[in-house]
Amino acid sequence: MASKTAAKDIITLRGSAAIVSEFFGVVWYSILYNRAVYPEESFARVKKYGLPMLLTKDEGVKSFISNLNAQLSEWLEAGKLQRVVLVIMSMNTGEVLERWNFSIETDNEVVEKGVSREKSDKEIMREIQAIMRQIASSITYLPCLDEQCVFDVLAYTDTDVAVPFTWMESSDAKLIANPQMVKLHSFDTKIHKVNTLVSYKNDEEELDDEE
Amino acid sequence: MMLRTPVPKRARPIEPAPIIESPPTGSDHHRQLAIYEDPPSADPARREPSHEPLQQSEHMLCTYQCRQMVKADFLDALSNAEKQVQDYQSQLAELSDNFRKADEERKTFREKLSYAEQELAAAKGREQALHDQLLKEVNDSHERLKKELESSAKLQTKLENEQNLRKKAESTAASAEDKARELEAKLGHISQSIEKEKKQLNNELVHLKRDSKFSISKITVDLEKMEFRAQSSEKEVELLRKQQEDLQSKFSQCLHQKSELEKKLTSLSFEDDSPKESDILVKHLQEELRNYESEVREARKLKSAHENIELIKEKLLEEKSRRERAELQLPKLHEYEFKINELEDELSAWKLMIQDIPGVSCRDDIRLRISALQKEVIDNLKKLGDVNAHLKQMEVILDKTQLDKQKTETEAVLAKEKADRLEAEVKRMNVMLSAVSEERNVLKTAIEDFKSKNEQAGGNASSSIMQIQELGSSILEREPYIKELEGDLFAQKEINAHQRDEIKSLHDRLNSEARRVKSLERENDRLRSEIFLLESKIGHGDFSAANTKVLRMVNTLAVGNDAKQTIEALQSELQRTKEKLQALEEYKSQSGNSGKMVDSYMSGKVAQLKEQIATLEKREERYKTVFADRISVFRRACCELFGYKIVMDERQRPNGIPVTRFTLQSIYAMNDDEKLEFEYESGNTNIVENSYTSTSEISQQVDIFVRKMNSIPAFTANLTVESFNRRTLS
Repeated sequence: MASKTAAKDIITLRGSAAIVSEFFGVVWYSILYNRAVYPEESFARVKKYGLPMLLTKDEGVKSFISNLNAQLSEWLEAGKLQRVVLVIMSMNTGEVLERWNFSIETDNEVVEKGVSREKSDKEIMREIQAIMRQIASSITYLPCLDEQCVFDVLAYTDTDVAVPFTWMESSDAKLIANPQMVKLHSFDTKIHKVNTLVSYKNDEEELDDEE
Repeated sequence: MMLRTPVPKRARPIEPAPIIESPPTGSDHHRQLAIYEDPPSADPARREPSHEPLQQSEHMLCTYQCRQMVKADFLDALSNAEKQVQDYQSQLAELSDNFRKADEERKTFREKLSYAEQELAAAKGREQALHDQLLKEVNDSHERLKKELESSAKLQTKLENEQNLRKKAESTAASAEDKARELEAKLGHISQSIEKEKKQLNNELVHLKRDSKFSISKITVDLEKMEFRAQSSEKEVELLRKQQEDLQSKFSQCLHQKSELEKKLTSLSFEDDSPKESDILVKHLQEELRNYESEVREARKLKSAHENIELIKEKLLEEKSRRERAELQLPKLHEYEFKINELEDELSAWKLMIQDIPGVSCRDDIRLRISALQKEVIDNLKKLGDVNAHLKQMEVILDKTQLDKQKTETEAVLAKEKADRLEAEVKRMNVMLSAVSEERNVLKTAIEDFKSKNEQAGGNASSSIMQIQELGSSILEREPYIKELEGDLFAQKEINAHQRDEIKSLHDRLNSEARRVKSLERENDRLRSEIFLLESKIGHGDFSAANTKVLRMVNTLAVGNDAKQTIEALQSELQRTKEKLQALEEYKSQSGNSGKMVDSYMSGKVAQLKEQIATLEKREERYKTVFADRISVFRRACCELFGYKIVMDERQRPNGIPVTRFTLQSIYAMNDDEKLEFEYESGNTNIVENSYTSTSEISQQVDIFVRKMNSIPAFTANLTVESFNRRTLS
């Protein structure tokens, strides 16, 4: 972090992990708000990345996400995190309706040798802004979630990672059968590259089944 | 012809006759003859106007001597002239010979010149023809080059398209490979999980067998115990029988005594009239009898009750043992049921998966299908590799054709330049020819002049000879040039032929490459369709268990309230069951003390109560396990939320008062010694000093937050933040 603040264009592993975990800290709330997992009134407006963002006021969700991001940041600094998936499921049936897939490509040379990279902060900000805008506009093509939903977060890590106390290994990756997939923009800090993809249950099959 | 003015002689005083000069011939122009003539008739043909005045002035009569002298002189001059004429004649002869020779040479030169002219004309014609041919060839090569350029441009566009297609195919192949790998990994994972489950099932089977053996051995032991108990009960029964027999014998003795006493009484009653004492005795005896009878009855009842109690005890023991066994096996049963459900779910999932996979009807087909798919993937990858190799070869060939095209272009440019040069040379040759022809004409005129003036002098022959020599030398000079031109033309012909051959070969190559491109396009379409099929078969991305594991954070958001409610419900139920158990135990003790529960109604009630006890105990155990789980979840949640691992235990102070002690360890603690201890007693929490809290930093915080501000949460929160900062900075 110190190197990130000292010279804007030089990015270290820790700085990049901080940027990515900060991004995750905002993107979870954005998705929860846009997909109406929690009611609109439980969100407060703040400014982030030059855009108006909505953060939840629910302390439980806040603490859950802050603990989650703390662990993700740790894994990012170790270069052990491969993917993070936000799963939206039906509360009644437990069926997986959407999967927000954030795959992370880490520069192993930086992790092993501790070298730094150069990239403009403004450019990274611009890339993150594009992703946020795309998430906000995703409601135009994603199917409506009429029933009450809950969310869960899955972290895909290396097999040699020690499972923390509040985590557990899950054999169920909570996949969707025959999903529709939409690839969104990605952002790159030159150390961590985050690709975004949303897969959702194919609404047309339901309509065909109903017909 | 210029006549040289003779040197005027010294005028003799008497020279009346005019001097007539003979025309100077040959080389003798020095002397002048003066001939006497009587009439000074002017001969304008022979006189020179310049000497007329002198001759007229010197027109004097000369003497005979003078005449003789003049005659002698004249004769001398004549002889000299004759000699000169002879010389001139000889010279003329020589000159004529020379002229003849020169003429002959001229003729030969003329012939040579004509021959050269003819050759020049032929060369010119050939040049023209070659030039025309060259122009034609250049035009043809230009056209071919244009066509080749167009075809190469088309090929380039095709190549670019192919490259794009190849890139797309490579990307799709890479994605298909990734998907295939992921699928393989998933399949491997699934197969591993299946094997693990198999092993687990086998282990469970082994465990079950062991358990069954153990239960069998246990049952045999119980049987032995029961047998032993039966034997002991039989012994007891025998003892009781003996006792009963003793009692019966006693009872019979008593009865006998009673009969004897009655007899005695009756005998006594007949014999004695004072019955009062005997009556009293009889009454006493009757009372004693009655007492004995009541005692006997009581003994019988006690005995039966004892027997019933023993039976009940045995039954209770049996039931207890059964209950214990059942309870021991209950969790296993639950586990087995759970595993069976899981296995059934997996089996159904597997069956669905098998149904989804085409060409697979049973489990064994999956491996075959996977191997077939793997082979297909490998074949497709090979084909992709071949396609890539073909494309690369095509690229190389195209590069070569481009280079060849560039070469041909440069050669065409060079040929053009050569043609231009040849044209210039041809023009130059034409110019030279025209100059040569002009010179020839000039030579002709000169020769004619020479012919016409051949008699006068032979001096022109040398100049014509010089000119002819010059012409010949120029012709000789031009011959190698002409040969050079012919050589250049021949080389150009060869180059054009070579270029034509190259162009033909390039055309052939282009055709073959076009065919190859078409075949590649067909292969590309086929591969695309295969990739699409694979993609549709494989589905969306997963993970490979060899490199990745999926972790899930315990989601306490929806659990907290539910946990509390369930905990409260469980606690209330536990209290109720405890009360019921106490009531049952009292009821048991009561039923045990009274000794009146002998009938089957009581045994049935006992059985009912036992069942209730069993169910309640099961429920209690279940509630305990659920409560333990919930408590652990709650403890973990508390640890995550507040950052401290809390350990609670009950202790007793030296004065005997029980106290609850809480030991807190921060999750950001650097070592295990960093622990906080609190004592909770009747709503008051006090911090306990230990080695960690006695350090300067912590003691300061304790003074500030706990003692001054009386806020333990503030103290723990501050400590958490400090240890978090310390940990992250380190």
